[in-house]
Amino acid sequence: MEDEAYIVEMEHIVKTFPGVRALDDVQFHLKAGQVMALLGENGAGKSTLAKILSGVYTRDSGTMRLFGKTIEGDLSPKQAQEMGVSIIHQELNMCSHLTVCQNIFLGHEKTRGSLLDNRSMRKQAQEVLSSLEIDLDPDIQVGDLAVSKQQMVEIAKALQSNAKVLIMDEPTSALTSVEIEQLFHLIRGLQSKGVGIIYISHRLEELQHIVDVVTIMRDGKYILEKPFKELSMNQIISNMVGREIKEKFPRIPSHRGKKVFSVQDLCAGPLVKHIHFDVYAGEILGVAGLMGAGRTEMTRAIFGADPKEKGRIILDGKEIAISCPEDAIRHGLVLAPEDRKKDGLCVKLSVRENIALPNLDLLCSKAGIVNRKKETEMVEKAIKDLKIKLSSTEANASSLSGGNQQKVVVGKWLARNSKVVIFDEPTRGIDVAAKVEIYQLMNQLKESGIAVMFISSEMPEILGFSDRIMVMCDGRITGELTREEATQEKILELATQFENKFETQVG
Amino acid sequence: MVLFIEKPFKRLMRIRGIGQVLTVTAGLVVLSIIFGIMNPIFFSSRNVANLLRQIAPILLIGIGQSYVLITGNIDLSIGSVVGMSTMISATLMTKGINPWVSVLITIIACLGVGLSNGLLVSFAKLPPFIATLGTMTIARGIAQIANNNYNTDSIGEAAQGLRDFFYYGKTFGLYNTIWIALVLWAIFNFILTRTKTGRHIYAIGSNAEAARLSGVNLVSTTTKAYLVSAFVSCVVGLITTATSGMGTMDAGNSYELYAVAASVIGGVSTLGGQGMLFGTIIGASIWGVLQNGLQFAGAPVAIRNIVIGIIVVISVLLDVIVRSGRGARKKRIESTT
Repeated sequence: MEDEAYIVEMEHIVKTFPGVRALDDVQFHLKAGQVMALLGENGAGKSTLAKILSGVYTRDSGTMRLFGKTIEGDLSPKQAQEMGVSIIHQELNMCSHLTVCQNIFLGHEKTRGSLLDNRSMRKQAQEVLSSLEIDLDPDIQVGDLAVSKQQMVEIAKALQSNAKVLIMDEPTSALTSVEIEQLFHLIRGLQSKGVGIIYISHRLEELQHIVDVVTIMRDGKYILEKPFKELSMNQIISNMVGREIKEKFPRIPSHRGKKVFSVQDLCAGPLVKHIHFDVYAGEILGVAGLMGAGRTEMTRAIFGADPKEKGRIILDGKEIAISCPEDAIRHGLVLAPEDRKKDGLCVKLSVRENIALPNLDLLCSKAGIVNRKKETEMVEKAIKDLKIKLSSTEANASSLSGGNQQKVVVGKWLARNSKVVIFDEPTRGIDVAAKVEIYQLMNQLKESGIAVMFISSEMPEILGFSDRIMVMCDGRITGELTREEATQEKILELATQFENKFETQVG
Repeated sequence: MVLFIEKPFKRLMRIRGIGQVLTVTAGLVVLSIIFGIMNPIFFSSRNVANLLRQIAPILLIGIGQSYVLITGNIDLSIGSVVGMSTMISATLMTKGINPWVSVLITIIACLGVGLSNGLLVSFAKLPPFIATLGTMTIARGIAQIANNNYNTDSIGEAAQGLRDFFYYGKTFGLYNTIWIALVLWAIFNFILTRTKTGRHIYAIGSNAEAARLSGVNLVSTTTKAYLVSAFVSCVVGLITTATSGMGTMDAGNSYELYAVAASVIGGVSTLGGQGMLFGTIIGASIWGVLQNGLQFAGAPVAIRNIVIGIIVVISVLLDVIVRSGRGARKKRIESTT
C-alpha cells in the first residue's frame, strides 16, 4: 500500500474569513484505501479543510490535486462530487419521507423516456446495499429508520454516485456500540474497495480500531502527519493543544463568596446526564468541552427552556422549581443564549424593544402599561454601559453588527438584579474590541457579587478568564479544575473522556 | 420653516414599516380623488357617511386579523364567527330573550372559539392554518344549527334599542357603527403599542424562541391575540344582526380573507412581528373606497373582486420587493467587509 499514489494532495492551503485566518499553509494527503483521522480541537480548521475539499468553500491560495489531476481555480460542490468526493455530515441530510431507494438516487434519478425507471433504480440500490452488506429494504421510508441505518443509506448514496473519497464528520456520535461496530465493519469494507476515508472525530479511543494515519491540526495550521501506530495517545493530545494565548484577558482577583447556586443530579435527554455542580458568589465558572458535549443543553435545561427528567436546582439555599424560562427569570437566574439570531434576538424589533423585552415586569404599571420614560432610561443606560454603537434606539436589531447584536443579547439581562447569570459562548464571532467589553462586563457582574457561569469553546478564553473550570464530555461532567491547576492538556484530556461505548474486541 | 417640520418628520420616518403605510395612504388619497372626479356624488356627505359605515366592519375584523398575523399566525375562523355571532344573537332575540342578555351570551360563545383557536395553536401546537380551518367549519356549523338550519325571523320591536346602538343611531353626527369601530380601534391600538401584552405579541411574531427565553409566555400571548380576533368578529356579527334585523346563516362569508386583505394592504406582515393598526385603518379604507367607488363607476361585483384581488397581490409584492432589495444590499455590504 505504501507505494500507492495519493488520491488527495493539498499543499499550502490558505483560507481567510473576515477577521480570522481559518487555514494557514495547510497540507493534507490521502491514499486510496486509507483511513485518515483528521484531528484537532474546536476551531482548529478541520471542517474548513473538509469543506474546501468538497467544494463548499473555495481556497484563497494553495494547490489541490485530486486523483493526480491539478484543480485549476475554484472547485464547485458539483465538480467535487463528480470527481468522487463525498461528505457525510454529522447532521444527516435525508428526505425522511422518501424511501431508501429514492434517497439513494435523489438528484440523479434514472429515467426511461421522461418516466422514472423505478425498477432499475431499485435493483441498483439493492446491489449497492448488498455490496456493503447492509441489510435494508430499499422501499422502506428513511424517516422510519434508526440514525445508524440512515447514515448507512447516506454512505450507500455516496457510493452509488461513485465516491472515492469519503469524508465522515463525527460519524459515531449518535451511535450505540453495536452500531459503531457495524459502521467500522462497513468502513473496512470500503477500504478494501480502495475508497479513501477521512475520519473526523473527537473520540480518540475509537481510532485504534480503524485508523491508519493521523493528521493533526491546530489553530488553522498543519502540525503533523504520521502513521497511527507510531503515536501514543498522549502525543496526540499534546499535539492537538498548545494554542498560543495571544489575547490578554482583563482578569480581576475574585473574592469567592458564599455558595449561591447548585445543581444536583440534573438529567435531561442524552446530552445532560447526572449534572452536579455549585457556583459561588463573585466567581466566574468556565464550562469547557468539545462541540456537542452537552453544555448548551445543560444550560437550557437549567433555565427551563427544555424539559428536565430529574434534578434539583438550589438558589440561596432554597430549592426552586423551574419549568419555564419565566420561572428562572423570576428567581433571578438568567441565560444569554448561544445563537443570537435564533434564540437571542427578535431581529425585526428595535434595539429598544429587545432590551426592554425581558424587563417589562419592571417597566410596566400594574395595568400592564409600559412606562416609556423608565423604558428609555433603562435602554439608554444599557447602551451607555455596554458601548453599543447604533444610529438610534429605534434601529432594527438586525441592522447592528455581530458584536453589537451580542451586546444587546447580553445587555438586556443586566438591567435586572439577577443572582446567577449564564453566558453561552458570549464572544463567538465578534471582534476583539467587543470581546474585551463583554469580558469587562462579566467582571463587573463578578465584582458586584453575582455568580457568573460562562461556556466557551475557546481554550485560551476559558483558561484566561475563569476562576474555576468545569469540563464536560458527552453530557457528563468529567472534571473540575482550579485556575492554578488547569492546562490545555488537562482540559482536553477531560473533554475527550468518553464512556467507552466500543468495548468489543475487533481487529 | 423647514426646520420646524424636520424633527417630527424624522421621528415619524423612524417608525418601523412606516414606508408602506405612507405609500398606501397616498394611494388611498389618489383613489378617492379619482373616484370623486369620476362621480362628484362620491364626496357627498351622504355617501361619505355610508362609506365609513361600510368600512367599519372591515376595520374591526382587520384589527383582529392584524393581532393574529403579528403573532405570526393566521385566523381563518373570523368569517364563521361573524356568522355564528349574528345567528346566535338573532335566534336568542326571536325567542324573546332580552337583547342585551343575548349580546352577552353571544360574546361568551364567540370568545369560546377564540380560546379554542389560541389553545390549539399555542398549547397543542397545531399549525394555525389547520387549527383555524377546523374551528372555521365548526363555527359555521354552529351558526347553522342555532336556528335549526333556517335563517331567523325578524328580531322585532324589542330589539330596536340594539339596532340603533349598533347601526341606525348617530352620536355627534356620526353613525354609531363608525364610533364603535373607532373606539375599539383606539383601545386595541393602545394595547398593542403601549402595554406589555402588545410588546409580547410583536416579540413572539418576530422570534418565538427568543421571546420564550426572555420570559414571554407563548400560550397566553397567542391566546390573547385570538381572543381579540374572536371579540371583534363577534361585534361585527352583532352589527350585522342590527343592520338586517335578522340572522342569516351565511353572514360573514369570506370575511377572514377581507381581514387579511385589510391588514396586508396596510403593511402587516403575514410572517409576523411587523405591522401597525394605523396601517389596518388605511387598508380597510382602501377596501371600502374601491368597493364603493367602483360601484358608482358602474363596475359589476365580479370586476370589483378582481380589482381588490390585484391590489392585495400588488401591495404584498411591493413589500416583498422592497424587503428583498434591502436584504440583497445588506448581503453585498456583508460580503465586502
